[in-house]
Amino acid sequence: MNSEISSGVLLAKDQLQKILDNLSVGFITSTEGNKIASILPPFKKLGVLIDLEDIEEAEAKIPIWKNVNTKTTQSQYYSCIQCRRQLPTPHLLDLHITEQHDLYFAASVERGDKPHYTCYIEECPLKFFQPADRKDHCIKVHKFPANYRFDQGKAPNKAKSCTKKATNAMDVDKDVNMAADLSNEKLPYIKAFSFGHPTQRTFNSRKDKALLDVRAMKEALDDMD
Amino acid sequence: MEMAAQSSTTPATSVQINDTALRLRIREYARQQRKELRTNTTDALRFGLGQIKDKISELENLGIKDVQGMASRIKRRKHATGEDMYRLSHAFLQGNENINAFAEVQGATQVIIKEFTGTQMQRQIEAAECLCNYSLGDAHVCEKITTMAGSYLVTFLDNQEPRLKRSCLWTLANILATCSKSASMLLQMQLASKLWKLYTLPASDIHGYQEDAGICLHLIATRAAASIREEDRRYIAENLHKKQPGETGADYYMYIVFQLELVNRERDLCAAHFQHLLNFFMENVNFDPNTAAGKLRIVYGVRVIANIFATRPDNSQLELQSDQLVNALNKLFALQEPNLTLDLMQLLKNLIEAQLLDNELLMEHIRVYA
Repeated sequence: MNSEISSGVLLAKDQLQKILDNLSVGFITSTEGNKIASILPPFKKLGVLIDLEDIEEAEAKIPIWKNVNTKTTQSQYYSCIQCRRQLPTPHLLDLHITEQHDLYFAASVERGDKPHYTCYIEECPLKFFQPADRKDHCIKVHKFPANYRFDQGKAPNKAKSCTKKATNAMDVDKDVNMAADLSNEKLPYIKAFSFGHPTQRTFNSRKDKALLDVRAMKEALDDMD
Repeated sequence: MEMAAQSSTTPATSVQINDTALRLRIREYARQQRKELRTNTTDALRFGLGQIKDKISELENLGIKDVQGMASRIKRRKHATGEDMYRLSHAFLQGNENINAFAEVQGATQVIIKEFTGTQMQRQIEAAECLCNYSLGDAHVCEKITTMAGSYLVTFLDNQEPRLKRSCLWTLANILATCSKSASMLLQMQLASKLWKLYTLPASDIHGYQEDAGICLHLIATRAAASIREEDRRYIAENLHKKQPGETGADYYMYIVFQLELVNRERDLCAAHFQHLLNFFMENVNFDPNTAAGKLRIVYGVRVIANIFATRPDNSQLELQSDQLVNALNKLFALQEPNLTLDLMQLLKNLIEAQLLDNELLMEHIRVYA
């Protein structure tokens, strides 16, 4: 048929009908299509040239004492209003808020009637009963690294370990404990006073005895009284 | 009375003036932002491997020893400064031997990835650009990047920083073009759906990711169509209608639809999708077949439409304007391109068998050249 269609004469209806009768109805598949040479030129891999001035300008904006580019960080990141954790995508922030700060979610998980932990990939519809199951799924199915940086499961584990420690602790009178907690809350944790020279350049051999923070100072003053 | 009338019109006039002022301010702001973005985009110069040496004569010549030194330093410090990444980026652009030297230093790539996933946006951008140049390397380097940073490259496609997002797209394109193993690994991270989302962004989106996303999808369709996940295929099929023929990157549309076999017997596309594809094809016919982009639109458009007719849609599924379709087919037959004519004959056969038009009338008006 290829030889028939190359000279450029208009086909009569009968001739066309004859050619069509020889053809069968069917799909054109991509394997057939690939026989023809590629229409587009081959893709050329390209890198990117960075301007050093851009880097210097950006670094000049960073406050030396803070070492964080607050302007860009705040505007380009999705940050949790409660714990200030910064996440790169709206989906990850959504997961973080739900899993870490939503009491209703925590209650639903505790009830355990259906899976609640959504996959890190927004497009994946699967949900899991445990964060560990989700992690396994992400590693096995989506080929995520085992130490995925935006893993939400890490924070609750820490919290759990804290609560475990608390349960293993010695029984203490609750009122006393409460009072201690309250006094801890009232006093801000300030590591030390400094007058423009934050780094100590002396030997600190009596670390345990030094008055390292305000609380320690207050206790020392109370003892003196 | 007059006073009352005046008092009733004055607030309305002032509201109108406020509205106009606000509208003008918004327009001016949008114009400035467009200009800024255009400048940012054109300022990002792109080079192939080794090409930089010919273009910039005052370039610092960085060799394997320099790269090894830098790699050991960042590894020792467990941190890379902006300048380190700048120098590494330049070294990678200068030659494949520099890329291989860096890849051989155990733990050095991890430092770049650590900066890439950090909390300082500027560092992240620099690391992304460094990874983009690193991805100019061979398959083993691309595989290393995919294993360590593939998930982050895919995740950051949802980020709102344009430079970071664009660098990720460029890196992904380089990886997809190099290594099919990496491509299939990236597709397991449901990259195709994310790319389709970017590809079908409305024309009003000023960042213009559509072209880069289209290139990535084109590479996937060419090299790794078989590795695409069923969920991704379904997502793309469901969102076929979101791309219009006049939008940026629409040249790749029919090629992607054909290569991913979105129109076949097993997949039930709805009437709206069939109609959209047909309308898209009718628009494609008006493009110049002598350009590569126009040819891509026409050749793969014919194949997709032939496959639509092969699914035997009924008249309720597909509304055909017989005059327009016959004119379009005659125009394409008149090009007298052998391979295209073969596909057109298959299209004609499928159309006749589908009984969508008056076949006698169709045979009367169709003009095929032998």
